[in-house]
Amino acid sequence: MRIAKYALVLSLFLAGNPARSLAQNVSYERILHSQSEPQSWLTYSGSYFSQQYSPLKQINRQNIASLKIAWIYQPSKPVSNLESSPIVADGVMYITEPPSTVTALDVRTGLRLWSYTPTLPEHVVSIGLYATSRGVAILDDMVYIGTADSHLIALDAKTGAVRWNVHVADNVMGYAMTGPPLALKGKVIVGIAGSEAAVRGFIDAYDAKTGKRIWRLWTTPRVGEPGAETWGNGAYESAGATTWNNGSYDPDLNLIYWGTGNPAPDFNDDDRPGDNLYTCSLLAVDADTGKLKWYFQFSPHEDHDWDSDEPAVLFNATIDGKPRKLVGFANRNGFYYVLDRVTGKFITGAPFVKETWAKGLDANGRPIPAPNQEPTLGAGTLVYPSITGGVDWTSPSYSPQTGLFYVSVHETGAYFIKGTGKIEPGPPKGIVGGGGIRALAGEQSYGAIRALEATTGKRKWEFKLLAPAWVPVLSTAGGLVFSGTDEGNFFALDADTGKPVWNIELGHSARSNPISYEVGGKQYIFITAGNVYMAFSLP
Amino acid sequence: MTAIRRVWIFAFLFTLWGMAANPLSASPSPRQDTPIANPAPADIEQGKQAFETRCSTCHGLDGGGAMGPNIQGIPMRLGAPAVADAIKNGMSGGMPAFAGQLDAMQIQQIIAYLLTLTHKDTGTVTGDPAKGKQVYDSSGCAGCHIIAGEGSGVGPELTMVGQLRGPGYLRNAVVFPGTDLPQARVFLETGGLLDYMFVHIVTKEGHAFDGTRVVEDSFRIVIKDASGKFHSFDKADLREFKKEPGKSVMPSFSGKLSGEQVNDLVAYLASLKGAQ
Repeated sequence: MRIAKYALVLSLFLAGNPARSLAQNVSYERILHSQSEPQSWLTYSGSYFSQQYSPLKQINRQNIASLKIAWIYQPSKPVSNLESSPIVADGVMYITEPPSTVTALDVRTGLRLWSYTPTLPEHVVSIGLYATSRGVAILDDMVYIGTADSHLIALDAKTGAVRWNVHVADNVMGYAMTGPPLALKGKVIVGIAGSEAAVRGFIDAYDAKTGKRIWRLWTTPRVGEPGAETWGNGAYESAGATTWNNGSYDPDLNLIYWGTGNPAPDFNDDDRPGDNLYTCSLLAVDADTGKLKWYFQFSPHEDHDWDSDEPAVLFNATIDGKPRKLVGFANRNGFYYVLDRVTGKFITGAPFVKETWAKGLDANGRPIPAPNQEPTLGAGTLVYPSITGGVDWTSPSYSPQTGLFYVSVHETGAYFIKGTGKIEPGPPKGIVGGGGIRALAGEQSYGAIRALEATTGKRKWEFKLLAPAWVPVLSTAGGLVFSGTDEGNFFALDADTGKPVWNIELGHSARSNPISYEVGGKQYIFITAGNVYMAFSLP
Repeated sequence: MTAIRRVWIFAFLFTLWGMAANPLSASPSPRQDTPIANPAPADIEQGKQAFETRCSTCHGLDGGGAMGPNIQGIPMRLGAPAVADAIKNGMSGGMPAFAGQLDAMQIQQIIAYLLTLTHKDTGTVTGDPAKGKQVYDSSGCAGCHIIAGEGSGVGPELTMVGQLRGPGYLRNAVVFPGTDLPQARVFLETGGLLDYMFVHIVTKEGHAFDGTRVVEDSFRIVIKDASGKFHSFDKADLREFKKEPGKSVMPSFSGKLSGEQVNDLVAYLASLKGAQ
């Protein structure tokens, strides 16, 4: 009793102690105005608008030739599937080391300040995905990570001490967390992975201070709920629509924008006639209540594994003389879309890679299916794009300076083969449904960085890559576009022309967001590859 | 499925595993943890099912690559222990760990199935391997190829080519080199790039080079010429850069060897299953 009383007094003292709250405070207001502190990188994609854009310009077209390695960090144990994008705030960089370790580095030197590793089960279930973490979120004095076994953990930003740990979903059933949380206005928003294990997707909001769940939005309906009519066979247990990447946020509209993945089973659609809401969609969700404000389904009744989990890019531009609030989305299905982000109404769309499955989009942005493009038994059906789509989850970039949308594209197709398996109750034993693809030979495929006019999708330039790449893109006010190749190059292009201006072979493909920050008057470019986290700067 | 039936099936498979993987009943091998020797059709079928459930979404149903790399021929290139380790523990670049989802037997069955994907064709051996060795020795093949440590490394090593390629493929390679190139093991989400691609290059200074592609990225390429020398180029420095599948730095032996000699040579190559 006495201990409880002391604890209460102590907590009241700590809560009311201004020195503590000033110690390390990345407030919501700071994240809201992240463009006014370009030295930091406060969200997964640099801002709530997910533009992957840095206003820094010390490194530019004129001097980039002298860009050099500034520091390298390597985890104490080799890691697999490194896709970690950092947060940078107040001299500290917060990274993740797969599967679920969080490490704080001195942002100037790469020296490790602290590290936290959660206790994971001996066997983490990861079906149709790999146990990785694409990064953390920061809010006030805490750092948040979603773990491979589906816990959301809040850590003290100064020490890595656990503040709270909540169980989000059952990993045994195939639920896993790989995407970075989105922290805003006292809440931590998270998505979930596991469509290939036939889990039911959702988006959750937790109280940032306590870990108490505030709301959950299921992303597929049950019988009697809106959208259930889009899942044939009545009582079918709608599954999929997982939310395994990061979302965007418009504070004025108080809407979160979050993409959803494929229905389950993926390559066998026999038991799920209909559009299968809200799979392969972009959802606009009220940040306070978790209520669905609008949705836009890119690929109704999807069966090519074309998730829509890439972060949605929010931008403002003038169309037909009127200022508009917009979303740009280069979808895995091969079409680039421009939507009104207030209403979700389709404005325009066009293929940004070769696609054969749709004859085009109708006035509402719904695809007009081309004949004979479904997965089939036996040798399968050749369809463009491939299973990895025109682009998969890797973030594109939007530069307010050029008005261009930069995306690393895959130009390839595949033979899609129908699965014959069914969803079975109980813990999943593997990817449900079976089926898959036969890839085209490497020589029949290539990648490219393409610059699209953000308001129309019209191509301004491209820079061809030997192979389709899985590397996100960063644009900067220095007139540069950074990305990488699957062969291991990390490079910079002129943002206006696409001409290469710098490149280095890293020995392994990058998989994380290139980001930029500044410390001690010096701009840095950061990337990971293989086991290595590295920062570049001018001499 | 009832529990009892499941136990019986398990017992049956376990017996098969014991029979197939027991080193005492298999031919001696220099490696530990080798693939199941002479796998039963049931092993391969089990491996196929496990592969299609767990692996094909990323590697393609034929192992030719999808989100993950082309893995045709991987057990022979890396060895079964390395492949088993990759399946168990995952690897950098996106390969998940399957420990806990697949047991040791299932992993070996998958490897046994993968081995069936490595032979691009079967064909039949009609020649005499001993005579084929004489043809190999007298035709200058060792000037470009290494077998069991002997020869020159201009072209691919042939020490275990009989494991990797079927007789029909070997015959084609002798008579029409360069026309059916294998896919290289590269980490692309598409199928791998072709091994031994013939490349013609002219630099901006006007120097011409012919050779096979050793490695290429979006900015650079390294080729190996007919003398085995490596040449490294930035693509931006080239006036001409042409990939010519179908051509080869290896001469065709069509017309140089009789039909019988080709048959014997193919029989010899097909008999090469590993270092002695």
